[in-house]
Amino acid sequence: MGESVLLYILFAPFLGALGLIFVSNRQPLLVRSIAAGSAFVALLASIYLFYAYDPVKGGFQFIQKIEWSRQLGISLHLGVDGIGTPLVLASTILLFAGIFVSWHIKDRTKEFYIWLLILAAATIGVFMSLDLFFLYFFYEMSVIPMYLLLGMWGSHTKKYLEMTDSEGMKLRDSVGFIFNFGSNSKEYAAMKLVLFLSAFAVAALMGILLIYKYSGLNTFDILVLREQANLMNIPVLGTTLDKIIWILVFFGFASIAPLWPMHSWSPVGHAAAPAATSMLHAGVLMKLGHFSIIRVAFEILPETTRELMPIAAVLCMFSIIYGGFVAFYAKDTKYVIGYSSSSHMGYVFLGMAALNYISLSGAVIYMFAHALATGMLFAMAGWVYDQTHSRDIPSLGGLSNKMPFITACFMVACMASIGMPGTVNFIAEIMIVVGSWNKYPLQVIVAMLGIVLTLAYLFKMMRGLFYGPMNQKYSHAHDAVSTVDRLPLLIMIAISIGFGIFPTHLYDVVRSGVDPLIVRITEVVPVAQSGSDEGVQHTVSHSKIPLTSPIIADEVAATPLQISGGRE
Amino acid sequence: MIFSLNLSFSDLLLLLPEILLTCWLCLVIIVDFVSPRLPKEQLAYLSVAGLVLTLGCLAWFDIAHVSGALFGNMFVLDRMAIFFKVFILGATILVILSSVEYVNRFTLFRGEYYVLVVMSAIGMMFMASANDLLSVFVSLEFSTLGFYVLVSYLREDMASNEAGLKFFILGVFAAGLFAYGISLVYGETGQLVFSEMSSAQATPGLIIGFLLIFAALGFKIGAVPFHSWIPDTYHGAPTPVTAFLSIAPKGAALVILLRIFLVALASFKPVWVYLLVAVSILSMTYGNIVAIAQRNIKRLLAYSGIAQIGNVLIGLAAGTKMGSDAILFYLLAYLFANIGAFAVVIAVSHAIGRDEIEDYRGLNRRSPFLAFAMLLFLLSLAGVPPLAGFIGKLYIFVAAIKEGLYTLITVGLINIVISMYYYLIVVKQMYINEPIDPSPIRISGPMKAVIYVGLAGTLVIGIYPQPFTDWVVDATLMFSNFVTPSATAVPSPIHVGG
Repeated sequence: MGESVLLYILFAPFLGALGLIFVSNRQPLLVRSIAAGSAFVALLASIYLFYAYDPVKGGFQFIQKIEWSRQLGISLHLGVDGIGTPLVLASTILLFAGIFVSWHIKDRTKEFYIWLLILAAATIGVFMSLDLFFLYFFYEMSVIPMYLLLGMWGSHTKKYLEMTDSEGMKLRDSVGFIFNFGSNSKEYAAMKLVLFLSAFAVAALMGILLIYKYSGLNTFDILVLREQANLMNIPVLGTTLDKIIWILVFFGFASIAPLWPMHSWSPVGHAAAPAATSMLHAGVLMKLGHFSIIRVAFEILPETTRELMPIAAVLCMFSIIYGGFVAFYAKDTKYVIGYSSSSHMGYVFLGMAALNYISLSGAVIYMFAHALATGMLFAMAGWVYDQTHSRDIPSLGGLSNKMPFITACFMVACMASIGMPGTVNFIAEIMIVVGSWNKYPLQVIVAMLGIVLTLAYLFKMMRGLFYGPMNQKYSHAHDAVSTVDRLPLLIMIAISIGFGIFPTHLYDVVRSGVDPLIVRITEVVPVAQSGSDEGVQHTVSHSKIPLTSPIIADEVAATPLQISGGRE
Repeated sequence: MIFSLNLSFSDLLLLLPEILLTCWLCLVIIVDFVSPRLPKEQLAYLSVAGLVLTLGCLAWFDIAHVSGALFGNMFVLDRMAIFFKVFILGATILVILSSVEYVNRFTLFRGEYYVLVVMSAIGMMFMASANDLLSVFVSLEFSTLGFYVLVSYLREDMASNEAGLKFFILGVFAAGLFAYGISLVYGETGQLVFSEMSSAQATPGLIIGFLLIFAALGFKIGAVPFHSWIPDTYHGAPTPVTAFLSIAPKGAALVILLRIFLVALASFKPVWVYLLVAVSILSMTYGNIVAIAQRNIKRLLAYSGIAQIGNVLIGLAAGTKMGSDAILFYLLAYLFANIGAFAVVIAVSHAIGRDEIEDYRGLNRRSPFLAFAMLLFLLSLAGVPPLAGFIGKLYIFVAAIKEGLYTLITVGLINIVISMYYYLIVVKQMYINEPIDPSPIRISGPMKAVIYVGLAGTLVIGIYPQPFTDWVVDATLMFSNFVTPSATAVPSPIHVGG
C-alpha cells in the first residue's frame, strides 16, 4: 500500500462495480461477495490510511497527481488532510456495513450493488479531491446513482408523511410543502432529489468557474489556487467578486448538507430510499456539503469566510429547531431519522460558523460520529421495515419481544445520536458547544434545546416501535440472528464507542487538518510596510510569514505577534 | 479571382478522399445493378468498406500533415477539414451499420438507400473543405439533395412524406436565402473566399448578406428561430436517417460557421457575439423546455438536439481558439451519445414497432444492455460525469467564461438542470416502471456494434479526454492567429503580489 493508498480506496469500489457487470444475476452469492470484497479492500485501506496519516506532520498527505487535461489545467490530484481522513474512513465503514445491510435484496441484486458501489466511490472521491474540477466531478457523479437506487429499490412514502400533533391536528412541513407537488411516490422523491441537488450544484459550478477565471492561473488545483489566487477586492454588481463566489459556493454545496431552507428534498429522499442508500445518504452524502464548503470556500476564500460565515450561524438555528420539531411530529420512522439528520447537520454548521479550533474540530468529528449513529438508525429502521413492511410508528409496537438484539442496538444508536458520554458523538457535541459559546451563545442554547428534542423524538420512536402493546399483524417478524445481519450493526457500534473512549488519534488527526485552516481564516498577514498600496494582504502561507491578528494589523501596523490558540 | 485548372498530381492528392469515395460509390451502384439478387446488407458492408478505406486515407493525411488549397482557395485541406471529414465519415459508418436491419422496412430501392447516404456524406466532406461562399453553396445543396430523398424514404408512411415535404420546402427556402446572401456579400466586398473578406467594411449590405447566410446555416444546424422543420422531420424520417440528420449536417454546417465567424468576420466579433448569444440562449431554453412535453422519443431527441446546438453556439460566441476547440470536442461527445441513443431507439422500435416514451417501460428487465446503453447516452447528453458530454459542456463553459460571457453560462447551467428532468423521465420509464410485456428484446449484430462503439466513445472521452483534446487543439491551430493574445496566453503563475 503505502503512498498510493488513496488510489486503492477510490478504485476498489469502482473496480468492484466494473467486475459486477460481467457477473450474472443468477449467482447472487458471487455478486454479493464481489461487492463485499471490494468494499472490504477499501475499508482495510482506509483504516491503514487513518492510522498511517501523520498528525504531527499535518497538511495534505498521500498525494497522488496524475495529469488529466493540459488544456483545461486539470489533474487528478488526490490527497487527504486531517479533515478528509476521518470522512474517508466513515464512507468505507458505511459502504461495508451497507452491503451487509442490503444482503437480502433479491430484485436485480447486481445492479443494486453496482450503483451502491459507484455512489460510495464517488463520495470517497470528493473527500480526497484536491482539484476543483474533480471535486465537482465526483460530487455530481454521486447524484445519479441516488436516483436509480431510490427509484428502483426504494419504497413509496404513502401517507406516512402526514403528521399529527397531540390534539390530532394535521401538520405539514411548510417549506417542503411549497416544493411538494402532492406526490408521495418514490419516483417523485428521486426526481426531487436529483433536480434539487443539480440545481444547487450548478450554482457551485458557476462559483468554481469564476474562481478559475479570476484567478487567471488556468488551473483547478486547490493547492495552487489557495496559495496564489487573489480574488479579493474586485468590484462586481455593487459588491465584491469574492462575496459572490462565496455565496454561490456556500449555498451550492449547503443544499446537500442540507441547510434549512434547502432541506426539503432530503427527508423525502431518505423516506423513499432503501436502507443501505439511506445510510450512505445520511452518513456521508450530506457531509459532502460541509466538506466541499470547507475545501472550496474556507481554503480559497478565507477572508470572505470570516466575513460571511455568520449567515451559516443564523440558518443553522432554524435547521436545528425546525428539523427537531418536524422529527418529533413525524410518524414515519425514516422520516424521523431523516429530519433528525438534517437537524443534526445544523450542529456541524454551528461548529463551522464559530471558526475556531475547538468548534471546527468538533464539527469534523461530529460529521464522523453522525455518520455512524445515523447509519445505525437507518440500518435498523430498514430491518424493521423489511420485517413488518411498515414504517408507520403508531401502527407498530412491542417489537422488542420479537427482536431483542435490534432493540438493544437501537438503544445504543439512540444514545449515540443524543451524544451520550462514551460515544464519539459526545466528544463532538461538547467541542462544538464549548467552542462556539463565546461567539454564538444564542445558537448554543438552541443547540442544547435541539439535544433535548433529539432525546424526545428518538425515545418517542423507540417506545413506538419496540415497547407497548404488540400489533398481532407483525407476529411473524424476527430478530437479526445471522452473522451477516448482525455484523454491520456491531461494527458501527464498536467504532462509535471505541472512538468515544479512545478519541486521541481521531482528535489529533482532525486538529492537524483544522489548525492550519483556522490560522488561514482568522489571521491576516500585513504587507511589508512600504506605505503605498493596500494595507492588508491575502495570506500567502502561514508557515512562512509571521502571523498577526487582523485587529493588530490595523491598529499597531504590523507588530509581529505570535498567536497560540483561538482568538476569543 | 484568378481561376486555374492546372492541376498537378500532388494537387489531386488533396482530393483523394473524395475521389476515392466517389469511385467507390459508383462501384456500389454497379454492384447493385449487376447482381440484383445480392442481399442488400452486403451492399451496406461494401459501403462501409469504402468509408473505412477513406478514413484510412484521412488518417494518413493526418499523420503525414498533408495540407493545401486548390482552385484558387475554394477548396482547402487543413487540419480542421480533416477533423470534420473524419467526423462525418465516422457518423456515416455508424448510421449505415445501424440501418442494416431497418432497410427491410423499405418497400423499394433498398440498394439506393446506401448510395444516397454515401452521396450525402461526400457532399458534407466537400463542405468541410469549402473555403469560399460558392463552394459552400454547391456542396451544401449537394449534400442536402440526398437528404431530401432519404427523409421521405418510407413511401407508404404519411408522416415520412410530410417530413420530406416540409424539409424540402424549408430547405429550398434556406438555399434561396443563402444564395441571396452570397450575392449581397459579393456585391459589397467583391470577394468570395473567406480569408480575403476579413478586411471588409461593415456596410448594411454586408450585414444583411451575412445575416441571410447565418439564417441558412442556422436552418441546417436547427438553431432557434430556424428550427421549425426539426421536430416533424426527425419524427417522420426513417430513424437511421434521423440519426444521420441529427449529427452529420450539423457538423458540416458548424465547420462553415467556424470559418465564417472566426476567419471572415473575425474583426466584427464585438458585433456578432450578441447575435450568437441571443440565438444560443433561445435554442437552449426553447429546446429544453419544449422537450419536457414530448411523448415521442424521436421528438424528444429532436428538441434535445436543438438545445445541444444552443450549447455548441456558446463555444462559437466565445469566438476564441479555445471556443472552437470546445466545439469540436463537444461534437465528438455528441456524436457518440446521439448516434448511440438513436441506435437504441432503432433497436427498440424494431422489437416493438413504436417509438413512444411509454414503450420504454421496463426496458431494464427486457434488455438490460439496451437500457444501460440508453442510460449512459442520455446522461452524456445531459452532461453528467464521468461521461463525455460533461467534459464537453465544461470545456465550452471554460472557453466562454474566459471571454466573460456570464449570462450565457448562467443560462447554460440552468438548462443543464432542466434537461436533466426530461432525460430522467426516460430513465424512469426504463428502470423504475415495470414492463407490460416482459419478453426479452433481441439485438442484431451490427446494431450491437454501433451501440458498443457509442458506449466506448462516451466512456473513454469522459474518463480520459487528453488524446481527444490534443486532437481538437491540433485541428484548430489555424485560429490561433485570430485570437486576442490575452485569452490563450498563459498568465504568469505568480499573481499574488499584484
